[in-house]
Amino acid sequence: MTVANLVQIISSGLAMGSIYILVALGLYITHLTVHKVNFGQGDFLMVATFLMLGTRAAGLPLLVCIVLTLIILALMGWLLDVIAIRPLDRKKSLKIGAFSWILTTAGIALILQNVIELGFGKTAHYSPPLFSTGRDHIVQVFGAGLFFEEILVILAATIIVLGFYIFMFRTRWGKSIQAVAFNPEAAKLLGVNTTLVKTGVFVIASLLAAVGGMLLGPLIAINAHIGLVLTIKALIVAAIGGFANPVGILVGGILFGVLEAFSNYFDSSFGDLYPLLAALIIIAIWPSGLFSERHADVR
Amino acid sequence: MSDEQSATGWHNYNKIKYVFGLVFVLALPWLPINQFYIFIAQTFCYTAIAVIGLNLLLGLSGQMSLGQAGFYALGAYGSALTSLHFGWPIMLSIVFGTMVAAFGGLVVGTYALRTRGLYLAMTTLAFGYVIDILAQRWVDLTGGTMGLIGISQFEGFGPVSGAAMLLYVSGLSLLIAQLISDYINETRIGRGLRAIRESEVFAASVGIQTHIWKTLIFSFSAALAGLGGALFVHQSGYVGSDAFTVRLSIALLIAIVLGGLGSKSGPIIGTLILLGIVELIAGVHKYGLIIYGSILLVVLLAFPKGASGILESILGLIRKKDTMVAASDIDNASEDIYFALNDLEQQSTSITVQEVSKSYSGVKAVDNVTVEIKKGEVHGLIGPNGAGKSTVINMIAGIYVPDNGKILLGGKDISGYSVAKRAQSGLVRTFQNLQLIEGVSVLDNVLLGIQPQRSELKCFFYWLLGRPTEIPEKKRALSILRFLGILHLVDRLPSELPYGHRKLLELARAIAQGPRVLLLDEPVAGMNSQEAQEIASVITRLRDRGVTILLVEHNMEFVMSICDQISVLNFGQLIAKGTPPEIQSNADVIKAYFGTGKES
Repeated sequence: MTVANLVQIISSGLAMGSIYILVALGLYITHLTVHKVNFGQGDFLMVATFLMLGTRAAGLPLLVCIVLTLIILALMGWLLDVIAIRPLDRKKSLKIGAFSWILTTAGIALILQNVIELGFGKTAHYSPPLFSTGRDHIVQVFGAGLFFEEILVILAATIIVLGFYIFMFRTRWGKSIQAVAFNPEAAKLLGVNTTLVKTGVFVIASLLAAVGGMLLGPLIAINAHIGLVLTIKALIVAAIGGFANPVGILVGGILFGVLEAFSNYFDSSFGDLYPLLAALIIIAIWPSGLFSERHADVR
Repeated sequence: MSDEQSATGWHNYNKIKYVFGLVFVLALPWLPINQFYIFIAQTFCYTAIAVIGLNLLLGLSGQMSLGQAGFYALGAYGSALTSLHFGWPIMLSIVFGTMVAAFGGLVVGTYALRTRGLYLAMTTLAFGYVIDILAQRWVDLTGGTMGLIGISQFEGFGPVSGAAMLLYVSGLSLLIAQLISDYINETRIGRGLRAIRESEVFAASVGIQTHIWKTLIFSFSAALAGLGGALFVHQSGYVGSDAFTVRLSIALLIAIVLGGLGSKSGPIIGTLILLGIVELIAGVHKYGLIIYGSILLVVLLAFPKGASGILESILGLIRKKDTMVAASDIDNASEDIYFALNDLEQQSTSITVQEVSKSYSGVKAVDNVTVEIKKGEVHGLIGPNGAGKSTVINMIAGIYVPDNGKILLGGKDISGYSVAKRAQSGLVRTFQNLQLIEGVSVLDNVLLGIQPQRSELKCFFYWLLGRPTEIPEKKRALSILRFLGILHLVDRLPSELPYGHRKLLELARAIAQGPRVLLLDEPVAGMNSQEAQEIASVITRLRDRGVTILLVEHNMEFVMSICDQISVLNFGQLIAKGTPPEIQSNADVIKAYFGTGKES
């Protein structure tokens, strides 16, 4: 393996890793707040890639496409909460108990897959690049030809993730979310609109999926069924961080993406399975994640 | 009346339905019908087997699996490959495939031990995905999407065609699976699994070794999925990798959600409806996923009890509620009220908390506390909020591990015991936010605590013959209910009871466990004074029978009136101990509760 190979692999690993992080952060924020996640998070991302594809094919300016996609995904996040999550709170006596949301959100995901398939067919599609002039736009870094698009995807994802962290830990909004996560009743007494926050986190999660979809679309061939594997990988990245540690998600996402890129390089047929299996073994040994903080359980 | 409750009664012979099922399966190939229906019947049988497995796992035990297709695939390939490459006889291949799936379930089931719901859903989803990818890409082994052809099929036997043989094998397997599932549902295994579904801490505190139970039920559920898959590959002699995608896992989930999660008849009804839908949407295949997704949403949101729940509520209007406990049995219970309580006195023993400490992230919640509770004593543990009372009681019960110190039960060090083992040793507790199995009767909740008298196998044959399986246990349970004055509620659901009666019911379950030491965590919290008095009188009567009791409680009137000895904690330290009058006049205690009084 040459240095050029190495740089290429790391670059594409980082690009995929940053997508995983965006999706996993969406899972993190809803799990933190309402202890539920959207099992169709990857499918939301898939919808975003096709919205970008469709709006751009219609000839709309890029900025309009982006804004439209964001608005539609935000609406989807809100609808998800209204249709598939919140009604279950009133049915706590369900036999399936606390986990109906897994099946209702998965149900929404199935519907989305079908709708996109009806609209775009079963064949693979290629989304036009966001930043570069064409799919083969290559820049030279350390003698390695890197896709310009990949580099900018990494940059864009970094900015969004930074923005997310500032939002979560430096703004009043983020503090309300954390207050609800810590104790919804107390947050309510402190004047936090908990209903709004509980819906808001699903809107934010959808927006993160939207950004992930915009960035991922030009990197891979897309079809209506790419969502599941993204959901699985994002769940695993979030689990490496114990679903509770945003820094763990960052490290987990980068590690997972880069390892996967190497693994794919060495074994093109089963390469994507090894990181998955490795992560599952890690989770079996450290169920609360590699980076989870030890919470005192005082009741 | 739900499936779950009617299952718990004293049986008259109700196994005739299995005979009908058998006759139907045997007769089907001889009816003048299209061969297509035989094919459908085979499909129904092996699919329903997998759904029964999922129902036991998800419906009864509350363990989520999004990867049943993976186990199904393990069974399918295990059977297909051994028969194709090694020329094994079909039956042997099927058994082997089932065992492969069971082993896979055992491995994946270890995740169930360590992780909670979301993680389990994630892990099983990933497992199913990995198996799916392997099936697609490991072309040398599986043939990929082109598939394996020429897998052996059942041969005809005399006048019985090959297709009929497969139907017989699948039908018989389904009958046996349903039989086992019904048995589990109606007897103590089902109670244990339901307790795990309610809360694992609760299940462990009634002496259930949750980790063993969870792995076993996972493995059993996987074995049933694998059996389904193994039968499937011998149906047409062909298996392609696209049969094992996540859609199959979802389809199995849809079947059980449609049929009614946790109900005995749910898998059969659900599979019937599922196959009906599959046939219906064959014409509108384009919309298949929309239909599947909508079913999940509509059923879970609008009809969470599924078809069997709807059927029962319709039948319930026509049929009168089955009485589960015959009047004569209640009379029997009255003959010897104290039959269940006779052994309590000699079992009763002392418990000592010896120099125990516990810190959370540097904060000392409990600091070198020693409390001795003598045999037959009612001991109160009190203190202001945050004093460390709950930590102490949770360390005694084994939920928290102390940093230092020992717990001695009757002089024996039990510090290394698990929650379940402590419960089995006679350390019995109730919970601050009470814990009951909601879906089953009051009687079943008490039975949960009682040690079984018969072996499982004997119990199974008694059940099979339609004979009552738990007569002595039920008598004991009825006596305890009578002792607590709630015998008339025996066939009610816990959710129908007022709070005070629910607390009494939890106490009944605790007494049923045969406590050597009884831990009561806030027994009268949230009660009005009349209800509290009822509990107080029960505790007094238990003391009269020599039961050792440690109780944590905020209600001072209650504590002072019934305790022999009281220990007072403040900021994790023991600040006083003595009799109620001593405690009431203790200056430190008054300071801890009311402040220094400098202002006044």
